[in-house]
Amino acid sequence: MTLRASALSDASIAEQSGLLSELMAHCGSDGSLVAVQTTKDGIPTVWIKRQQLRDVLRYVKSELSRPFSMLFDLSATDERLRRNHDGLPIGTFTVFYHLFSFDRNQSLRIKVALDDESLSLPSIIDLWPNADWYEREIFDMFGIRFEGHPFLRRLLMPSWWDGYPLRKDHPSRATEVGMFQLPPDKLDMTQDALQFKPEDWGLPRTYHDRDSDFDYMFINLGPAHTGTHGVLRLVAQLAGEEIVNIVPDIGFHHRSQEKIAERQTWHTFIPYTDRIDYLQGVLNEMPYCLAVERLAGITVPPRAQAIRVMMSEFYRIASHLVWYGTFAGDVGALSPVFYMFNDRERILSIVEAVCGGRMHPNWFRIGGVARDLPIGWDQLVRQFIDWFPERLDDYERLVMDNPILKQRTVGIGVLSREDAIAWGATGPMLRACGLPWDLRKVRPYSGYEQFDFEVPTASNGDCYDRAVVHMLELRQSLRIIRQCLDSMPAGPYTSLDPLATPPLKQHTMQDIETLINHFVGVSWGPVLPPGEAEVSTESSKGQTSYYLTSDGSQFSYRTRIRTPSFAHIQMVPLMARGELLSDLLAVLGSVDYVLSDVDR
Amino acid sequence: MTEWRSGRLEGVRVTEGGDGPLTSVVGQSVLFAKLQDLLAWGRKNSLWPLNFGLSCCFVEMATSFTSVYDVARFGAEVARGSPRQADVLVVSGTVFLKVAPVIKQLYEQMLEPRWVISMGSCSNSGGMFDAYSVVQGVDKFIPVDVYMPGCPPPPHAFMECLLLLQSMVGSERRPLSVHFGPQDVQRPIMPSMRDAKRAERMGQREYPSIDVLPRTDLLSSHFAGQPGGRSKGKS
Repeated sequence: MTLRASALSDASIAEQSGLLSELMAHCGSDGSLVAVQTTKDGIPTVWIKRQQLRDVLRYVKSELSRPFSMLFDLSATDERLRRNHDGLPIGTFTVFYHLFSFDRNQSLRIKVALDDESLSLPSIIDLWPNADWYEREIFDMFGIRFEGHPFLRRLLMPSWWDGYPLRKDHPSRATEVGMFQLPPDKLDMTQDALQFKPEDWGLPRTYHDRDSDFDYMFINLGPAHTGTHGVLRLVAQLAGEEIVNIVPDIGFHHRSQEKIAERQTWHTFIPYTDRIDYLQGVLNEMPYCLAVERLAGITVPPRAQAIRVMMSEFYRIASHLVWYGTFAGDVGALSPVFYMFNDRERILSIVEAVCGGRMHPNWFRIGGVARDLPIGWDQLVRQFIDWFPERLDDYERLVMDNPILKQRTVGIGVLSREDAIAWGATGPMLRACGLPWDLRKVRPYSGYEQFDFEVPTASNGDCYDRAVVHMLELRQSLRIIRQCLDSMPAGPYTSLDPLATPPLKQHTMQDIETLINHFVGVSWGPVLPPGEAEVSTESSKGQTSYYLTSDGSQFSYRTRIRTPSFAHIQMVPLMARGELLSDLLAVLGSVDYVLSDVDR
Repeated sequence: MTEWRSGRLEGVRVTEGGDGPLTSVVGQSVLFAKLQDLLAWGRKNSLWPLNFGLSCCFVEMATSFTSVYDVARFGAEVARGSPRQADVLVVSGTVFLKVAPVIKQLYEQMLEPRWVISMGSCSNSGGMFDAYSVVQGVDKFIPVDVYMPGCPPPPHAFMECLLLLQSMVGSERRPLSVHFGPQDVQRPIMPSMRDAKRAERMGQREYPSIDVLPRTDLLSSHFAGQPGGRSKGKS
């Protein structure tokens, strides 16, 4: 039996109490701080009265020493079916603000309880501009209003949708609401709903001043367009060829993953995580499994950790290669994508040999991985990592040194470091602005602290620099894989903890207890103790985070999935304003995003 | 039906009683076939897909366009951005509520003859996403010619379905003109692949081990294409 990991390390308790006393000093006197919650992830969590919300947020953002400069995540929970209250001031809905401080390397979660009579909160768009989409998403999914939000309307669901999907009384399954039909009148209605009206977004149709007088042109890109890499829709407001503004329209890829998580067992949600960002396979499973293990208190054995790291890095390379090829294609270089897909095919051969699947490996399990590495894996991996660096040299000459590509991307779509932080950029987007922030380094998980690698950065934050960071990360991933290959630990590939799922077959037929444990674990699924845990990891596109709330059953009460693509697509107007229309595709190409990661 | 192989239309005799050079030259450059057959053959071998992707399946579809799989062998590599120029709509991924009218419109914008491949479980039936925002199968609002199972189907499954569609298109007979001949489209009855493959599948007795890998050479010519014209496997 492995030891249960303690929920909080001593260091984090000390840090937490320091932060909490600072918070108390500010807002303890007027009673705005209602409660302090202990969570399994050790993130300081405080409940604030809704009247003082903006005041407290402004304080932690700008007045606190070493402030919380990033709004990492913002969402809500429908608490009406909650059984375990733990003495917390839970209302009918809870809105939580997940803030992050780079100076402290610490998260802070601020919660506000809402009642049925007053489902509204003040908007915080003026504090953090990226709150825009998060608040619209909450309005869309929960029907909570944000006073002062200029465009509070549905974000993911179509405007004609009735009901708020993430409320507990909304149907989860399509088969619960009758068969989908698309008669002509409904087709007309849904097409009309997609009509873009500039006035709805506060965009003028004409420009007047003393010297000039012209009409803006509005051009629609997507959802069926070859340059958007999926069903993304952008409407650009143009003055001549110059982009004045862009209105992104998302939700064409909304698969209701967060709702599905509430009806799948902890174990059977793993295949769904694969499809959150379909290019990066196990990199999605990593934060989910880590969060479940944090809730359950499971320690993962070293071999399982190393296998996880190795497969994650393979998927990181595969995802970066797809990005690299399509990015080059977006700015006119059509041949690189063929080479890069060949390499991806080699990686997928390795993945298929190990996991059995290509894009959706479904390989991690609660407490470890699905199976031990097959005999002969090392030769396959060695062949690849011995050969690939030379190939990367070729790509450097083929793509990065290409003068046309440089002209299309250098100085285009520049993002300052301040903007990147204010808009919640993570991953290569943030590192291209010069901040060496990589969770594998600064908040290591799954044994990353044992590996020797560097965090590549660039300085200008333009399209070219984002490519540079991706390029260099490929080599670092190879380095990590080589270390996995050279020092793969021996031992079990999954934990022996009773909550680890599925339990090992060889322990099944010993006696009735092991048989029952296996039967319940496989058929019913493990029952996790009540509590909350959030784990964020460095996925290929930025920080992916799973915030799980268990109410003491075999299902998740609420699963919040924070994805990097969502934050990054929200920044496209910021990066594209003032550029030419043709540069829009360079900007889009340089933002590493996947539509399923945006809409979930 | 006549069939074109390696540049010749086989089964068609050009001239009788002679094998001189003139005969072979004529044989290589002159084609005799029924106009209907020729048109069907042309349609079959130039199925241009619409460049429209929904989700995960589209990545596997795009993979089949690249050099390891190379769908150009079947004349279907010309992905068109405009539905007016496309013959095949591959619904490659989850059909979302919000995107259903868009798919419907794309389909209606395609000129006849047009065909639809439903790629992957989501598009076939909703698959694992029985969720409020997902349409349970694209055939709820457009007709489907080939259903492709898998989540996602690998590129060779895409190519298998493309060949299935080709065999169907090749044996379809369509009216040559509004002025003469039958005016209806004669479609072949395509066999169910589940029935066709049943004996082979049920007869399977040996399975490869999942614990011991087969020998795979990642540098073999299967993974074609080297930048800079280098010899492969230098290390």
